[in-house]
Amino acid sequence: MMSCLEAKKPSLCHREPLTAEKVRTTLAVLKGVLTSCYGPFGRLKQLHNGVGGSVCTTSQSAVLLRNLSVTHPVLKVLIASVQNHVSCFSDCGLFTAILCCNLIENVQKTNLATATAIKLNKRLLNFCTNYLRSESCGCRIPVDFSSTQILLCLVRSVLTSKPACMLTRKEVDHISTLILRAFLFTIPESTKNPIILGKSIIISLKGPRVTDSTVLPGVLIEIPEIQLMKTLPVRKSSALKVALFSTSLSGDFSDPGEGSVVVSYRVSLENAVLDQLINLGRQLVSDHVDLVLCQKVMHPSLKRFLRTHHIIAIDRVGVTPIEPLSKATGAQPIGSLGPVSPSSYGSVKDWHSAQFGCKHFFHLIPNEAPVCTLLLCNRNDTVADELKLACQTALHVLQLTVKEPWVLLGGGCTETHLAACIRHTTHKEPGNILQGEGCTQAELQLIAEAFCSALESLAGSLEHDGGEILTDMKHGHFWSMQAGLPSVVNWPDLLSQCGCGVYSSQEELSWSVLRNTCHPFAPQTCIPHEALEINQQPARGLIVDCLTAKLSGLQVAVETANLILDLAYVIEDKN
Amino acid sequence: MAVVGSVKTALQVAEVLEAIVSRCVGPEGRQVLCTKPTGEVLLSRDGGRLLEALHLDHPIARIIVACVSSHLKKTGDGAKTFVIFLCHLLRGLRAITEKEKDSLISENIQTFERCWKNCCQWKFICQALLTFQTQILDGIMDQYLSRHFLSIFSSSAKERTLCRSSLELLLEAYFCGRVGRNNHKFISQLMCNFFFKSTISDSRLEVFELVDDCFVELNVSVTGLPVSDSRIIDGLVLHRDFSVYCPADGDMRVAIVRETIQPLFSTSGSEFVLNSEAQFQTSQIWIMERTKSIMKHLRSQNVRLLLSSVKQPDLVIYYARLNGISVVDCLSSEEISLIQRIISLSPFVLPQASLQCEISNPALVKFCKPLILRSKRYVHLGLMSTCTFAPHCIILCGPVQGLIEQHENALHGAFKMLRQLFKDFDLNYVKKSNDQNDTLSPHVKNNDELEKNQYLQAHSNLVVSDAELETYIPCSTPKLLPTDTVQTDETWRCLPPENKKINDDYELLIESNSSSNPITENTRIETYCENLQVTNIAGKESTLPMKYKSLDTHISQSYCSSSVPAGCVLPVGGSFEILLHYYLLNYAKKCQQLQEIMVSKLIASALLGIPKILYKPKKGNHNFPQIYLRALHALQTNQPIISCQAGLESVIGKYHLLTSVLQCLTKILTVDLIINIKRQPQKSCDQDSEDELQH
Repeated sequence: MMSCLEAKKPSLCHREPLTAEKVRTTLAVLKGVLTSCYGPFGRLKQLHNGVGGSVCTTSQSAVLLRNLSVTHPVLKVLIASVQNHVSCFSDCGLFTAILCCNLIENVQKTNLATATAIKLNKRLLNFCTNYLRSESCGCRIPVDFSSTQILLCLVRSVLTSKPACMLTRKEVDHISTLILRAFLFTIPESTKNPIILGKSIIISLKGPRVTDSTVLPGVLIEIPEIQLMKTLPVRKSSALKVALFSTSLSGDFSDPGEGSVVVSYRVSLENAVLDQLINLGRQLVSDHVDLVLCQKVMHPSLKRFLRTHHIIAIDRVGVTPIEPLSKATGAQPIGSLGPVSPSSYGSVKDWHSAQFGCKHFFHLIPNEAPVCTLLLCNRNDTVADELKLACQTALHVLQLTVKEPWVLLGGGCTETHLAACIRHTTHKEPGNILQGEGCTQAELQLIAEAFCSALESLAGSLEHDGGEILTDMKHGHFWSMQAGLPSVVNWPDLLSQCGCGVYSSQEELSWSVLRNTCHPFAPQTCIPHEALEINQQPARGLIVDCLTAKLSGLQVAVETANLILDLAYVIEDKN
Repeated sequence: MAVVGSVKTALQVAEVLEAIVSRCVGPEGRQVLCTKPTGEVLLSRDGGRLLEALHLDHPIARIIVACVSSHLKKTGDGAKTFVIFLCHLLRGLRAITEKEKDSLISENIQTFERCWKNCCQWKFICQALLTFQTQILDGIMDQYLSRHFLSIFSSSAKERTLCRSSLELLLEAYFCGRVGRNNHKFISQLMCNFFFKSTISDSRLEVFELVDDCFVELNVSVTGLPVSDSRIIDGLVLHRDFSVYCPADGDMRVAIVRETIQPLFSTSGSEFVLNSEAQFQTSQIWIMERTKSIMKHLRSQNVRLLLSSVKQPDLVIYYARLNGISVVDCLSSEEISLIQRIISLSPFVLPQASLQCEISNPALVKFCKPLILRSKRYVHLGLMSTCTFAPHCIILCGPVQGLIEQHENALHGAFKMLRQLFKDFDLNYVKKSNDQNDTLSPHVKNNDELEKNQYLQAHSNLVVSDAELETYIPCSTPKLLPTDTVQTDETWRCLPPENKKINDDYELLIESNSSSNPITENTRIETYCENLQVTNIAGKESTLPMKYKSLDTHISQSYCSSSVPAGCVLPVGGSFEILLHYYLLNYAKKCQQLQEIMVSKLIASALLGIPKILYKPKKGNHNFPQIYLRALHALQTNQPIISCQAGLESVIGKYHLLTSVLQCLTKILTVDLIINIKRQPQKSCDQDSEDELQH
């Protein structure tokens, strides 16, 4: 045994990492990359490895951050926390990352003592979360599960905010309906507590048009064409009996134990195991099983035997489909070659062989199990990946919304509204936020300004074409105006509706440019009912965001910014 | 290369460490980001972790780091204070050396000789430090400090009950120095909840031991959620998913296995000979039947949950599912042993022949269900505890793993700290009953007032310039030490046979100084104000021989033992340090031995370094000199000290810190030469030495 003993190199210790010019510039670069991706008009990023491999085009934080390689520990913390947020909630990754960068930048500009800044940031965050959770919140809409309108708006907002999916308006509508349908499939019929949602499997297909995508009940198993030809379709009217094997049926002798097994001359273990397999096959035949699915490999002789008895045998299903298959059929995965207990069998209503694009599938249709398959078609690989990720996000967001049935106004309106609220409160009732923390009002004003402008510039990064960003003085919503228009015109004519689509410009509003510091005003709290009624027409969909994801994103962003601002030293281990 | 180990180099090293650590200490401390070679990032304010992350190269630094980590292992607190305190002690010692140098400049001694002389001197100081730590410190703790101790127990009637509010204060103060600024309140609440939920009876020590030992198994980390989502849940969370989950209600039992239930063909060391195919088939069938019957047997005993430390084969999983037994396999041995500790259940041993045996221990399970945290599945287990620990788990959330780890470590450290706090601690010391003791006490007060006056003078003279004010303490009080030591040293070296006599001289000298002789008192006080050295010389000239005779009759020694009772606390914010400082100075005044005086004064002034850093960012009425003066005043007039900060800290933790630092200091001082060996470290210590000493 050679052992390599080497003295550890001493670590590098940097003081006040945020004051270093290098860190500032890299943070600014990262922020630039992320802001340019943000929103439905975000610019796409092409990621490719200099050595080779596939090129991917994206604007989603999940893909972008996974592929970016950063070296500075401060950036690592930022990116790790955003990635962790994304893996929890799927949505609002860019929101979190940009807000965090903005906050760090703005707080640093104030030159206040970090202790005070951090304390006040936390206070402002508490104010925001309390406000967003309160009844009087002016940017929150309850979700009505008796109609699909809001849910559809939510899914559509998720899809449109991912421009790299390259969907036309019509395609967005089609895919959002499919996603919603797939989600509704997973809700079980019975209402026993606790409700366990079913499973929707997403299969991505290259070739057909996006509008060919569908949702199918049950499970699709991809099999080679030849195998499909061999499995003779035998139709029965009644339900079909299914056996699901999790153990290998290949006849290998797996676990001999820790000692040794001595096999005498002319004793063939293969034959012995094969006999056992055929016995198993006989039992399956006598139990009138119609379909045998095996996670691992099945011995060809057993396969042949089953086929001659008109039993369909499919092997190498893999470990991932086992759980949905078990759910769809009600079968228990069998782990023994011995006699099979009758309670392990499951059943399906029907099965088909189906062809989508150039792939062949075996389609199991369950009786009423909450399992469905979403088939996403797309023309090329990169876009297919992007679309699949967007659909997973949308499904996840729907699940989160079931748990917390509220949505927040999207399109930048929540951010500007929150900023207006904070400004108003710090101006009128600073005591509510300070709560005797030993900070002065002036300090609060400074930090509140930094916090609000972080939120507002986040909303402002939705605009990528040089347009002007405005906010109205009544609701505090976000309005954007096309660039290059004459300045002296009537504003209501230029602006059609606010970012989220709740208000239109014809409502006697007054606007101010967001970048200018305006006089604090009290934004109207509750959203008038009529405003929502009119806007739930499908033609003018609202832009809404998932409350759970956004709220958590806000918290994570502020906590991470606080963490980074609080750093006194960075110790880099150089080993 | 060999480097002369000296206080100077040690101080340089310690000062660098102090600079890093002092920015993270106390409630205003900030975070440090450490990267690991694997690329992971870790946030920390834990001094021990920081020092380790630095991978220090310097040998003295490595000694310090090793001392800190062994101290942390014991107490779980105080790494940063350790470094600061050590640094101040070294500073005090350097002041001594510099004095010595001045006196040595005239004598033209070669470097090496001086070095050895230094060494002797350091050895002398080391011994003094050790005697102080072993014989004097305990006495001061017991005789003076103990009257200021508060307790976290509200001692109503006979039994002592733990007061939640004081525990909260204690924990909040602890987490103030350990976790981020916005989270300490939340984390201390979390810990408090955990503590009160998980202790059934009053025997908390057992719970602390269990939690301390199995801390990793008792918490689950969830990244990507805000910190405020952290919570305490009832029951245990196993870091595994069910292999089989069969929902079950009502009366359930649990079995623990450490081997596969399915019998294997052969066990290790044996051989299984297959002679025919039929034999193979029958043995396979036997295995199957056997597995089936064991699982049936388990079910008949109402076992609904099988916990296994090894992976169970498909066959076992299949039969478990058929019998409605949930299975969790691949559990770590720590998890298994934790469960065994909680429900005191021995593992289920597979019966060799018949299955008639009952399962020995009927451990009941309240519930067992899957728990999904951030799309990762865990097993959530409600156990009927048979010990004093009611199983609860901490779910720690945070945006990044590094932050969660920080909270995890802080919580673990807090349990270590409580574990220490809840034990009685024995104090043993030598009590020197001195017949002059009683007459001394009023006199000491005089001195103090004087000192205070002097301090006030300094204060008014320097016109509230903080920087200069701080220099006051190290300059004035220990000023008398350096000169004394030097003199002793020199004479000691020159006149070895008369060694004892001269030492005694010095003892006497001090005694005569502090004697309450009304005639000498006035002059003494005057000179005390101006220059201490003058007094010494004056004393030396005076009544030396006469006192020498009376010395032995005056002092008699007795060994005392006492204890610091469990749960002793002091208000946070340097109270311990200021109190000990005060009493050490007092002690020094009535002490006769020069070494003792020197050491006490050295430690006393070094102790103030900690509150000084703590109060640095405070303004107005809360800056250090103000606090210090108020405390001194309160002590002299026997009033309770009013602390401006809410929060408590463990006395025993502070005591351990002090002793650890003193031990570390002696370790550093005893080294005279550092030899750098340019060779790979070898495991076997064969002594065919080729080490070359390079100078």
